[in-house]
Amino acid sequence: MATISSDLLWLLTRNSSSYLVKGRGAAGGQFSSDPLNLNNVHARKYEGFIQDKAVGVTAAEDGSIVVTTKKGGKTQKPASQLQKSTIGKNKSSRETFKAIVGGTAKQGYRVDLRREVVARASAIKSSQRPVRQQPTPKLRGTKAKKAAEASA
Amino acid sequence: MTSRPVVTIIGADGSATNKTHPLPNVFKVPIRPDIVQTVHTGMAKNKRQPYAVSEKAGHQTSAESWGTGRAVARIPRVSGGGTHRAGQAAFGNMCRSGRMFAPTKVWRKWHQKINLGQKRFATASAIAASSSAALLLARGHRVSTVPEVPLVVSSSAFGVTKTSAAVGLLKGIGAGADVEKVKASRKLRAGKGKLRGRRHRQRRGPLIVYNPDTDNTDIVRAFRNIPGVETSSVYSLNLLQLAPGGHLGRFIVWTSAAFEALDKIYGSETEPSALKKDFLLPSAIVKQPDIGKLINSSEIQAVLRPVRGGAITKRGVTMKKNPLVNRQVLLRLNPYAAQYSKAKLGQTKLNEGKPKPTGEEFSKLVAEA
Repeated sequence: MATISSDLLWLLTRNSSSYLVKGRGAAGGQFSSDPLNLNNVHARKYEGFIQDKAVGVTAAEDGSIVVTTKKGGKTQKPASQLQKSTIGKNKSSRETFKAIVGGTAKQGYRVDLRREVVARASAIKSSQRPVRQQPTPKLRGTKAKKAAEASA
Repeated sequence: MTSRPVVTIIGADGSATNKTHPLPNVFKVPIRPDIVQTVHTGMAKNKRQPYAVSEKAGHQTSAESWGTGRAVARIPRVSGGGTHRAGQAAFGNMCRSGRMFAPTKVWRKWHQKINLGQKRFATASAIAASSSAALLLARGHRVSTVPEVPLVVSSSAFGVTKTSAAVGLLKGIGAGADVEKVKASRKLRAGKGKLRGRRHRQRRGPLIVYNPDTDNTDIVRAFRNIPGVETSSVYSLNLLQLAPGGHLGRFIVWTSAAFEALDKIYGSETEPSALKKDFLLPSAIVKQPDIGKLINSSEIQAVLRPVRGGAITKRGVTMKKNPLVNRQVLLRLNPYAAQYSKAKLGQTKLNEGKPKPTGEEFSKLVAEA
């Protein structure tokens, strides 16, 4: 198959790509909306759709985490190219990271992305935790006196 | 040369048939966005209708300058009286109801000549780019349900004459998501284009390429009312459809007859095309565009000097080590430190007891001073 190397693909898509999201102003960063991009930065290393192997970590609706990887040698077959595995929502953060890294970096699959994979999974985990209610501050001084008078 | 890569021919339901076809040579053409972009800019200009403001606009008055001495500017002024218009400045581009600056003319250079060789290169390059799933994704096509790229569908599946059947066929081969994307993208155009026959904007969907010699040409009518879907004969592929906006990677659905005709139409790098005069496919200057493979190739590795040191290389003076914290560095600077700590000299107290009084002589001296 006429496979195009990812180096060439990066040169072709560096300046214009549907995934490219530009920040505002001259100093605005270049970000990416690629689902296989772990830290959403438009860069050769992180842009997953141009690579033969890439990892995507996304949150499922039920609170579990979906890890997507690309099967090598299937670049021409988009429908059967992706491999998905789900890590249940009841697993602790540590177990989740262990499971993700065990399925990717530990097996020599995108070892360079180990830290990013864990960071993204961690961010998803923390976003899924319920927000803790701040206790209402106890009134002191004149405010406390006024509140006491008002209630009395 | 190893065996040529083959493309599976897909049936109407998206499953592979037992037929395959070797990949036509046109898919090996170098992908050159620079050529495609320049040719596209030229070609996009070639369908323009001339327009201009009226020759008379702003000049339909008999204004004359009042000359000097009337304490007004020397611009021509409308003659006569009895109306507010009289005495107002006319003609100039700075005047109300004057003519515009440099009125547009119908004989502007509307069209661009593009060299035929460049046009053919661009077309071939755009076809080659359509065989990369990554480039289709970068163009924004929804191809994650497509079984294979380039997508070749058996000509026998294209017996459709009705649009409903055509939509069913697109869904069957996994192109339904791309059509849905087009439908959802339809928006009102910003600006005056709304009044000029360009009311809506929408994305482009799949391009269906058929062979008019053998394929059922009713498909043109069957597909033409599906938003974003275009049809084209394989003999007259147009760069404006192959790379809309000059962006490579249009999602193309080939009928198997059209796909088989590609080698006849474009020839190869060595055999001239049967239908295009004096045309050989452009060949890539760099045969191996994978930099990683180049670096790791035995030819390159053979001429490189071996890596110095082993797996652990000693860092020279790149990192400063603090001798107060790092004992090995301390010993290198101060060999006595080993003996000093072994003898626990740092912990021993001075065994001289209390300090001796300095004596009366000294205190007398201090008092005098």
